[in-house]
This record gives sequence, structure tokens and C-alpha cells, in this order.
Amino acid sequence: MEINGENGAILLECRGVSKSYAGPLVLDKVDFSIRKGEVHSLVGENGAGKSTLIKVITGVTNRDSGEIVFDGTPIPIEHSRKASQDLGIAVIYQELSLIPGMTVAQNIFLTKEPLLGHTRLIDVRKMNKMAQALIDKYQFPLKAAEPIDRISIAQRQLVEILKALSSNASLMIMDEPTSSLTKTEVEMLFSIIHTLKAEGISVLYISHRMEEVYALSDRVTVLRDGKLVSVLEKEQISPAEIIRLMIGHKLEETALHHHLVSKNGKVVLDVEGLTSVGKFADITFQLHEGEVLGIGGLVGSGRTELVRALYGIDSFDAGLVKYLGRPFVPSVRRSIELGIGFIPEERRLQGILATQSITRNIGIANLDKLAPIGVVNGKTERQYSEKGIRLLNVKPPNPEHLAGNLSGGNQQKVVLAKWLVRDLKLIFIDEPTVGIDIGAKEEIYEHIKKLAGQGVSVILVSSDLPELTRLSDRVLVLRKGKIFHEFKECVLTGEMILRVASGIVEEAYEN
Amino acid sequence: MKIKSLSTDIRLLLVLLPLMAALALLSPRFLTLDNLTNVVWSVCLIGILASGAIYPRITGGIDLSLGSMAALTGIIVDMFMNRFGMHWMIAILLTIAIGALIGLFNGFIVAKIKVPAFVVTMAAKTYLYGVGLVVSQGAMLAILKPKPFIAIGTGRFLGLPIPIYIMFVLASTSQFILKKTAFGRKVMAVGANEVAAKLSGVDPDRIRLASYTISGVTSAIGGVVLASLTQQVFAAAASGIELEVMTALVIGGTSPVGGRGSVVGAIIGAIMVAFIINGLNLLNIPAPFHPIVTGVVIIVALLLNEGYLSPKKGSLGSAR
Repeated sequence: MEINGENGAILLECRGVSKSYAGPLVLDKVDFSIRKGEVHSLVGENGAGKSTLIKVITGVTNRDSGEIVFDGTPIPIEHSRKASQDLGIAVIYQELSLIPGMTVAQNIFLTKEPLLGHTRLIDVRKMNKMAQALIDKYQFPLKAAEPIDRISIAQRQLVEILKALSSNASLMIMDEPTSSLTKTEVEMLFSIIHTLKAEGISVLYISHRMEEVYALSDRVTVLRDGKLVSVLEKEQISPAEIIRLMIGHKLEETALHHHLVSKNGKVVLDVEGLTSVGKFADITFQLHEGEVLGIGGLVGSGRTELVRALYGIDSFDAGLVKYLGRPFVPSVRRSIELGIGFIPEERRLQGILATQSITRNIGIANLDKLAPIGVVNGKTERQYSEKGIRLLNVKPPNPEHLAGNLSGGNQQKVVLAKWLVRDLKLIFIDEPTVGIDIGAKEEIYEHIKKLAGQGVSVILVSSDLPELTRLSDRVLVLRKGKIFHEFKECVLTGEMILRVASGIVEEAYEN
Repeated sequence: MKIKSLSTDIRLLLVLLPLMAALALLSPRFLTLDNLTNVVWSVCLIGILASGAIYPRITGGIDLSLGSMAALTGIIVDMFMNRFGMHWMIAILLTIAIGALIGLFNGFIVAKIKVPAFVVTMAAKTYLYGVGLVVSQGAMLAILKPKPFIAIGTGRFLGLPIPIYIMFVLASTSQFILKKTAFGRKVMAVGANEVAAKLSGVDPDRIRLASYTISGVTSAIGGVVLASLTQQVFAAAASGIELEVMTALVIGGTSPVGGRGSVVGAIIGAIMVAFIINGLNLLNIPAPFHPIVTGVVIIVALLLNEGYLSPKKGSLGSAR
């Protein structure tokens, strides 16, 4: 299997690495290696174990078992972030880790500033010169003395790369580095990656964007459910093959196949040409009574932004929305009054009031009913809370229990409950089951189906492909802010969604 | 676990009562009606101010301008009555309206321009003090009339000082609003998780505007009571009281990061501090030691209220 090219020497080698966070294995005896001077992509669906593997390698978390050798040095189980940095492993962070008030040079040389003679004072002139020399060497569009908060995200990424170079990193880990870059910036990053490679630096590249993985990689490692699925050599790499491996065939035949059947009831939501500059454009669709409309697409495709605009959280620039046949300018308040609900993607950050009781959490969206003249009717409030707990089987069934002390699944049930106790006509659900256990997941699926059965329309945004195919009557796939494809009345598989979301058209998967 | 499930107010009483018993045993003068009335009287102003200052606190902000505002509104009410010759009732109502406007202005900068409340109200504390100096021409003014106005602070009803009634009415109204009305629920929700509140139909900006306005109103009422009680007004009259109010709030279980709070708790907290100081006085412990005791009490109360000391339970909402 091992093919040694001109850069055949191994830089990083993981053997049988396992990890679990109190429960199932997130990494299950994973073998993984990176050669010197190669661009190696790590791919897998959400939850496949990519992030955990990175964390284990960089010492953010400790593995349970297995060996890791970096450049000949065995890495002990008790690893640390500092130790990995000292070895030459650098991470170019997705959410950048630079200090905004400092200059480019100060950030590059943070904690390793050149000092004046034998003093403890920083030699600012020397530091700026060194930084500028580094910038010039790679011809980056940067100035050493510029403060970080005045440069673009793409430029900041370059500073991160220089910071890594200045500490002699031999492995750079880039996690979704292009998610907030423009097309030209992406091209610049690619040429920089080629320069790094030419210098013998290895790059571990993580991206959901198949075309990038395809364009850049020397090798690709595919993870699925915490296990190594395959390592593809350059000549074996094709976007369609990667997707096939990511999803896996066994699963395909059981859980992922789903027959879509269009429902043609009354039109509940009629969206025409909805556009929000920089987020999504020209979105047109109709949603029928009792229909579950799935919205798929990669992170950053505009899915979340679209439902936020429709619910009235963010404004949009152009387009028409009709709700129940009437023109509708969404605002959260109006939406709620008219029987629309919203489950946000980040349960902890956007969904629950962690320091308050289940009762208060359910009550907050129902104050119009609980306090028609401003004073809360304690009895009605209690009834709503008990109804919500009963409907969704929240555990423990104690209305006074603090929401923050519930399990993830039960928190999500509470978020759902506050809408289910109302007379609902339409609900937007964004990533309903991220980070919750299988049991609660199934219960939430049952509730979504039941809602649709009662005539409530559902717009379901999800990265979880089986979830999307299983629950939806139709699926819209967004790509770069536009409706790229609509699946209706067909046998839908997760693979089909992922292909379309990655922008693969027929001829591309001939490859 | 058992203790955690009791409400903070009751836990505070469970601390306050033994404290009183201990003081009663240590000093025979403690349990006299005069002494008790004096202690409660001394916390009236804090209680009145805390009734409103609790709203910005629960939303996660703070109003540090209330001391300067109380002093300024005292100067203004005196000016209305004794320089402009207004009827005392009209003067008081106008003064309260001015307090509301100043609070609204604070709220506007916090809610709409998104400047941290700490900075906004610290600046307000400074410039309101300046306005007070200008309006009073830097002088300490004595208020000798009208008689009904002086009676607000100094009079008694059924044997108890009138300010105690004012505090009682404001605190119970405030407690009712916080615990029983939709507005109160919204204030708590904004403090607990602004985004979640917003997605549930709460308008956080409006809640903030209202919160600072309420704090302005109670500051003005506090200013009127203070002017009447001391029969004098000057720009530094209530200097530093904002810290005593914040102390009462912390001891009373108002979360330092917002989302939770109780006016009743704050008043018990203020009374507790006052009893401790009173006890120290009765026991002839020199005054320089009193702030040391108060400071320690704040820390201990915070540790207990926020669950820092209960194992495994996360503190300050970071239960993960």
C-alpha cells in the first residue's frame, strides 16, 4: 500500500488512536499519516471524528490509546498544546486567534520578540524589520506595522501563517480556511499552500468543499463514524469517490434511502426572489400545509441565513414573502403572533435560558397567552409548562428544573416545547439534533412527523443527511446562496444531496 | 442540594434571623424598637434605589449613576419648590419625570448604541454630579419648607418613619413586576440569554430602555426622600451610595452576570449589612473595621448565592 514518492518520508504517524468522551468511541483505532511536504486532506461528515483527531494531534485533548510519532519523536498520551507547538505543529484557526489591537509584527512574534541587548525590552525596530523580511519573502500583501483590526480576514489568515512559519512549523493544520474568503483570496491561499509545500512544509487541510480537496490534495484520508475508511493516493482522488466513501454504502441501503412524495395542500409560505446581499440570492419556493421542506447545503451556503430572514430576525434586500396568501414582512414578534415558531441551530447560545426553569423557558414565547394584560397567570403558566413537559416527555418532568442542568436532548425538547404548546402553523427548525443522544433524536423526529401530520408546515435545515432525507417531503439544496437543486418525488439518498451541495454535476463524477 | 432548592430570599432570612439572635444575646440594646427602627430607617434609601437599580442589573448591565442622580434630583426638587415657587407635589412629579428622562437617555446609549452600561453610567455619574454643582452653584442648600415636603422624610405614620413605607411600597411593587408580570419575565430572559429571548419574541432593546428608565425613576424618588430627610441638598449628597446598592443586590442574590434577582433579597441584604454594622457599633468595635467586615460578607454571599461552593454544579450559568 505504501507508495514512497520523492517526499516519501513520514512526518506524522498515528497508529490505532482511540478516543471517547464519556460514551461511544469518537475515534476508533484510527491509523493516519502525513508525509513531509505533502498536502493531505482529512474529510468526513459532521461527527466523523475529524475535529477530535486534530485535537488529539495538537494536544488540545488527550487520546485514550494508540501511538503518535511526530518527526521521529513519540508523543506521550499526556500531550499538550504547548508541546505540539514546540514540536512544530501549527494550527491556522478558523476563528482567528490574533490580538486585534496589536500590529502584524507584534502578532507574528508574540512571546518570541527580539530583545534589546541584555534587557527585557522589545527591540521594536528589529522586530518590524524581521516581520517585513518574512512578508517580503513570501510576497504577502501585508505591512509589518499595520494593526490587525485594520486588515481583512484573508490577510489575518496570512499573518497566522507567518506566525507559524516564524516558529519553524513543519506541519500546518488548516481547518476550513476558505469559509470566509472571496474567490481571489482562495486562489491566493492556494498558491501560498503550494509555496509552503515547495519548502517541505506539510499541510493538513480540512474542508467540506470537495473541489478544494480535489484541487489541492496529494492524499486524502476519509473518516466515517470515528473509523478510518480509506486513504486515497493522488491518482485515486475524485470528488464523487470521496463522497461515496464518506457516506458509505451499507448505510446507504438502509437509513438513507427515502422516497419523496410531494404534498399539494394549501400554500402556507410563498417566497419569491428573496435576496440578501452576500448571504443568499433569488430564492423562490412554495411551502404547503403539512409539508416538511428540507433545506440542505454546506455550512456557509446560506441555509441558516435564509430561515433567519424568513422568521424576521435579519432583514433582506429584495423579494416577496406571502404567508397564508397575504403579503408578509417578517418580524419575530409578528411571526410569533401569526403562528410561526423557530428552533435555532445553537441550542445553548440561542435556544435556552440556562439559568431559568423549564416553566420560564416555555413561558417566554407564550407571554401573550400567559399574561394577556401584562400580569402572568401562574396557573396557566404551570399548565403550559406541564403540557410541554408531557408532550415532549422531558426528563426530569419537574417544571422548576433549571434548563441549564438538563441533558442536551432534553434542552432541545424544551426549546421545541415552547412552540408546541402554541397553535402553530409553520415552524423553522435549524439543526434540531446536533449533539444529542440517539433516543432523544428519535423522539424529536417523531414530533416533527407528528407536527406535519397535524397540518403544520416545517422547514428543516440540517447537515445530517439521513435526518434530512428521512423527514423531508421535498429537499432544496442551496449552494453559495442560491437554490442549486430541488429534489422531489424521487428516491433520495444522502449521497445525492452531498454531491449536489458540493457542486458536482454529472460529468464531474465520471472522473 | 436541599439548601440550593430553597429560594435565595428564604436562605437570606435563615442567615439574618440567627444573626439577629446573636446580636440580641451580645447586646441588650439591640432588640429595642428604637434600635431596630433606626437600622431599617438607615437602609430605606438603599432599598428605594435598589428597587429600580435591580432592573439594569438583571439585564446584565448596571446603573452606577444613581447616586449622582439622587443628589441632582434633590437639588432640582428644591429649586422647583423654593426658587420657582411650585407646589411641592407638582415639583416632585416633575422631578421624577426628569429622573425618568435621564434614565431613558442612559438606556438609549446602552441599548441602541451598544456602549457597555458600566462606561455609560459611570460617565453619567460624573456629568450628573457636574450638573448638580452647576445648578446648586456648588453650595450646600438647606430646605426648610414647605412643611409637607419635609414630612416625607422626617414624619412618622403609625409610629414608623414614612420612608419605611415608601421603601415598602416601591420594593413590593418592584418585586411584583419582576416576579409576576410579562415585563419582569422579559427582563430576566434578556439577562439570561439575550439571543434566546429575542428569538422568543422579546425586544431586548426596549427592555433595556425601560430598565434604565425605571432606575432613573427610583433614583429621583430616592433623591426626593433624601432631600426631605436631611433637609439639605448638594451635589455630593449621595456620593458612593451606588456601591452600597450594588452590595445589597449582590448579597440579595441578584446574579452578577444577570438573569436573576430579587428586590426582597436586596432589602434583606441591605438590612443584614446594616445589622452587622449596628452590631459592631454596639460591641464597640472601631469604625475602621466595619468596611472590612462588609467586604468579606459580600464575597461570602456571592460564593453561596452563585453556587461556587457546591461541588459539580457549574457556576454563573456555565453548567456544561
